[in-house]
Amino acid sequence: MSTAALVHVVVSGLATGSIYALMAISLVIVYNATRTLNFAQGEMLMVSTFVGWTAHQWLRLPLPLIMLVAVVAAALLGWLIERAVIRHSIAATHFDVLIITLGLSLVLRAAAVLAWTHDEFPFPSFFADRPIALGPVRVAPVSLGIIGGSLLLMLALYGLFRGTRLGRAMRAVAQNQRAARLMGISVERVYSASWILAAVVGGIAGVLIAPVIFLSSKMGLVAINGFTAAVLGGFGSMPGAVVGGMLLGVIENLAPLYLPSGIKHSVPFLLMIAILLVRPSGVLGRARRRKV
Amino acid sequence: MRRALWLAGGLALLLWPWAAPPYFVFLASLIVVNAIVAIGLNLLSGYTNQLSFGHAGFLAVGAYVAALLTIHAPALPVVAALLLAGLATALVGLALGIPCLRLEGLYLAMATLAFGFVVVEAILNLDWITRGNDGLRVPVARLGGLALASDTAKYYLVVAAGALLVWAAANIVRTRTGRALLAIRESEIAAQASGVHVAAYKTLAFVVSAFYTGVAGGLFAFIVGYLSPDAFDVFLSVDFVAMIVVGGLGSIPGSIVGAAVITVLYDTLAAFQNYRPLIFGVILIACMLFMPGGIASRVRFPVLKGDNA
Repeated sequence: MSTAALVHVVVSGLATGSIYALMAISLVIVYNATRTLNFAQGEMLMVSTFVGWTAHQWLRLPLPLIMLVAVVAAALLGWLIERAVIRHSIAATHFDVLIITLGLSLVLRAAAVLAWTHDEFPFPSFFADRPIALGPVRVAPVSLGIIGGSLLLMLALYGLFRGTRLGRAMRAVAQNQRAARLMGISVERVYSASWILAAVVGGIAGVLIAPVIFLSSKMGLVAINGFTAAVLGGFGSMPGAVVGGMLLGVIENLAPLYLPSGIKHSVPFLLMIAILLVRPSGVLGRARRRKV
Repeated sequence: MRRALWLAGGLALLLWPWAAPPYFVFLASLIVVNAIVAIGLNLLSGYTNQLSFGHAGFLAVGAYVAALLTIHAPALPVVAALLLAGLATALVGLALGIPCLRLEGLYLAMATLAFGFVVVEAILNLDWITRGNDGLRVPVARLGGLALASDTAKYYLVVAAGALLVWAAANIVRTRTGRALLAIRESEIAAQASGVHVAAYKTLAFVVSAFYTGVAGGLFAFIVGYLSPDAFDVFLSVDFVAMIVVGGLGSIPGSIVGAAVITVLYDTLAAFQNYRPLIFGVILIACMLFMPGGIASRVRFPVLKGDNA
């Protein structure tokens, strides 16, 4: 296989990988605050993207405004879910919250089916369809756009976590909730902020990926690869989520070239099992000691 | 009192095929199959706090193993087919459990979720043995010279297997193993400090859980008579979780009641397919928020001991 074709495969792998990375980041943001997995993350992404699309259908808004509508919808949804449901189970075990988010994912998906049916819809894209040639290499503008957009968002998140009071508070809560509370940080506010932030990251990821995988009530399944990406990089680590996502995207795209064709969909799972066997703390994660 | 209840329950179970129309006999068989899965899942989730979202995958493994065995070795008695289905599934569970169960429960939840998708994918891709999307017609189960073709015969097969597995589970949870599993649920660290080998017991619970589900899968193959991969999607796994949440985590009678409630509800809502996940989702959330112990925490079951909810 020629180098140019290989580059093409790697670039589109990095594009899907960016989306996995964003999903993984959303999951990690919620996990770091509340120590639980949000099984509804993918469905939240799906709903906010649908809201953006509906605004597009009704008002013929330009694409940046659609993005804005989707982000606002995502933020509202995240805030509402945290306030109305998760906050009430603050005393419950992680196990219980896991089941609650599972229930939420069912409810959101069913609601989406009722509102927008089972069909797949084309979603407007920021980027042209025609591949551009960079020397001998041809790459799809969509891929470059997704990668660029995701990297920008990651940089913004980095700034948020490093440079703002809220970001510092979120990192403090992730490290030690009790100590954070004693330092005067409102843990509840961090919970809210985390759910909203995770939803917003998901909302942006949804608008970026929808033109590629089509908009449908099933698109929330992309979150499953987000889990794998987060585990690959080391669950709980933000840079790990980025590396894990990119790695997963590239490996998933390269695997069919070297392995039997039927295996493509099983690659994330096999990768997850392999990493759990060899290095459970992930590529970048540090082994976390369990505390009583 | 206890003995009278046992007797009445047993009689009702045995006479059911004569009292009810055929469809309800089939439905009762399905409830028992689901109850076996729910008990298996509850041994894992209710007793060690490990959540699995991949039990539909285990059910599929058991169902296809039993079906293929019966196709390629028609002389094999149904008991052997079911046993082999359970063992094969337990082996798969062992392979999946070893990497995941040393870690926090979250990892098992994620890995089993992915596992469920891989099983469906594998059934589609191994079409030279599973016939992929075309589906697989399951031959009639045989026991010696007896062909278990009617709904009633299948019902008795399922009930016999179910009774045996319920009895076994009730005994497992009463022994040292059951106490070890409960200790793990309450606190892994305290259990470890008391000399419980946490990883080994969690793996054991997972393997037993897979075995139960594998046997149930074999039974499922025989009572339904036709297997196709889309019957084993992730929503079935979610239904199993719903059964134990509704019935009561860590309760064997709760598992049975939960399986009955969810199976009947599923059947009743067949005409409202789009609303079904909505209703199930609301039930899951409401149970966790308002009734974390499930039905078992509200109703006292006088019949079975070993209720640890």
